[in-house]
Order: sequence, then C-alpha cells, then structure tokens
Amino acid sequence: MADLTEIDDLEPLFDYHRVQPHNLVSLDDDDTPPISIPKRRKTCNPAVENEVEVETREVQVVNCDEEEEDWLPPPPKVLVDNQLGEDSAIKELRLKKQELVSFAKSAEDMLRAVEESVKTKHSSVQAPVEAEAEKASKPPCERAKIVISVQDKDGLKQFRVYKDEKFERLFKMYADKVKLDKEKLVFCFDGDKIGPAATPASLGMDDDDIIEVHVKKS
Amino acid sequence: MSGGIARGRLAEERKAWRKNHPHGFVAKPETLPDGSVNLMVWHCTIPGKAGTDWEGGFFPLTLHFSEDYPSKPPKCKFPQGFFHPNVYPSGTVCLSILNEDNGWRPAITVKQILVGIQDLLDQPNPADPAQTEGYHLFIQDAAEYKRRVRQQAKQYPALI
Repeated sequence: MADLTEIDDLEPLFDYHRVQPHNLVSLDDDDTPPISIPKRRKTCNPAVENEVEVETREVQVVNCDEEEEDWLPPPPKVLVDNQLGEDSAIKELRLKKQELVSFAKSAEDMLRAVEESVKTKHSSVQAPVEAEAEKASKPPCERAKIVISVQDKDGLKQFRVYKDEKFERLFKMYADKVKLDKEKLVFCFDGDKIGPAATPASLGMDDDDIIEVHVKKS
Repeated sequence: MSGGIARGRLAEERKAWRKNHPHGFVAKPETLPDGSVNLMVWHCTIPGKAGTDWEGGFFPLTLHFSEDYPSKPPKCKFPQGFFHPNVYPSGTVCLSILNEDNGWRPAITVKQILVGIQDLLDQPNPADPAQTEGYHLFIQDAAEYKRRVRQQAKQYPALI
C-alpha cells in the first residue's frame, strides 16, 4: 500500500512537467493521454540510448590511446544526456510497477483462495493419511520405498513397496489387481524366480526395476 | 582405455535393460564365484516366439563383449550343436547385424541384438548357412526340420 501512495504523490509532478507541453493537443482531444505517451517515449528512448552508446564507444576508442585515469570523466556527460531518457524511463517503470502491484494483488488473492480450498480438502483427507502413516512408521521409523514395475504380456504395472518388505505382499497386490490366483503366478527377476520371503533389498533392486510375471499352465 | 568405454557402455546397457526389456527375455552380466560382476560376458535367455515352432523354448545365449565394444559387435553363442541353419557348430550365431563388416553399428543395443536373434530363429537365412544339418533339413525336408525345431524347444523349457 505504501508504494501506491508514493506513486500517487509523484505522478502529477511528471505529468505536468514533462508530458503537458508535448501533449497538449492529445490531452484536449480525448481522455487517452496514457496511450499517446508511451508511443512518444518509445520513439525518443531508443534515440537517446543510441546517442549514449555512440558516445561511450567514442570514449572507449579514446581510452585505447590514453591512460586509464582519463576513463572516469565521461560518465557524468552520459548521465546529463541521459536525463531526458531517464524521465520517460522512470515513467515507464512506474506504470510497470503499478501493473505488477495489481498483478501481485490478484496473485495473492488467488493463492489465498487456493490455500483455503486445499486446507478444506486436506483436512478431510488428512485423518486417514495420518492414520496410515502412523501404522507404517510403527515398525522401523523410516523405511525406504521403491517403485517396482511388474511386467506381464500386456505391459507394465507399477507398484510402490518398501525396500525391506517381503515380496509376498506385492504378489498379493498384483494378483488382486489382475484377478488371478496368486498360486498360478510366477514372478521372476533377471530370470530367477522370486521367493515370497525375498525383498527388493535382498535382490539388490533399484527404482523402476522390472520383475516379470508368468502364468503357470495348469 | 578402450576397455573403459566398453564397460561404461555395458553398464548403461544393463541399467536400461533392468528398467525395460521385452517379456520373457533375460540378460544379465556374469557373476564370478567371488561375487563380483563381469560386465564383459552376459548370460541371456531368448524365448521362442509365440505361434512358431520355437514357442515354449527358452534358449540360453551367451554374449562375449571385447574391449573394442561397441566399435565391434559381441560374439553371440548358443550351446554347442544348437540346431539352426545360421548357427555354427560351435554355437556362434551368424547374423548380419552381428557382423563387424556388414550390419553392425555401435548404436545397436543389447535389446536389439536379442530381439534380432529371436527373429532369426523362425526366419533362417538360407543364403548364409553356418551348419550342414540344419541347412539341409531346412531346404530339403521341411517336416523333419519342423520336428527337430519342436524337439529342441522342449529341450529348453522355462526354468521356472
């Protein structure tokens, strides 16, 4: 809010001082000075910048011949020439700042709305999640998880399990998912059958490693 | 240091294989008695394609990589005496993409090699015979050839 009031105080100064003389006609004609001002600024700004650039270039060329100490004086010149440009640049900056402030405000509102909606949703979800987390963390505190891809003839299905968890549970999860008797399924890693008591850690598995399922012929 | 290049590439191949490979195929570097891994020799299994006389067989294949891999292809070997027109009596597979002077390119992956050999099983190339028995039966006695292929598939059942 402080920014806004400051801007309001400053703006008239520049409007009267700089804009009016150039812009009298357009001000009288319609209420759209802001549109004509930027145009003007754009046209004069590059010119000033170019001049400045040319000057600095010249200075640099001189520098090559002279000593480094002579390098300091030029900047004030550049500043003086630049003032015309700076005024309009400041105006542009101010307008942009205003825009940004309004953007920020709307963004803040959005964020607040999102946060609130998330909070309300989360509070309803949180309870069961926490309960699960408590259950899981009861044995050892932090158990490493791993994502394992189970490949059958139709494609891949991914499962997230604990690294030190027996494959038994994954087998059951998979069998339930594909609605097959788990006694008829054989799981293999690198061509070797996986026993129900093995764990991803005991087989040295990494994230996204594939295990294959074969259906026993009965 | 060419060995470094070969091993680096093979480590990448192994990593990629573990994350994605065709169903039924196995490809893993040899584990030595002391528990260390030898990336230069891979023990693989190629499943016979479903719907062909090779179906039901899981054929063991060994890949021998040289220090010049991937500039040079690996040598791919079935067990000695493997029945197929394009497999030498030693078991070495004769396939264009495995020929340094023919179709081999360093970009060919282990997966492509194994799938290529699986295709070769059911589609022998009579223009490039490597053993007399398989070749002769293939062009002269289709029924006997078929019988031999099916018999061999039964010799290499699934290990599980």
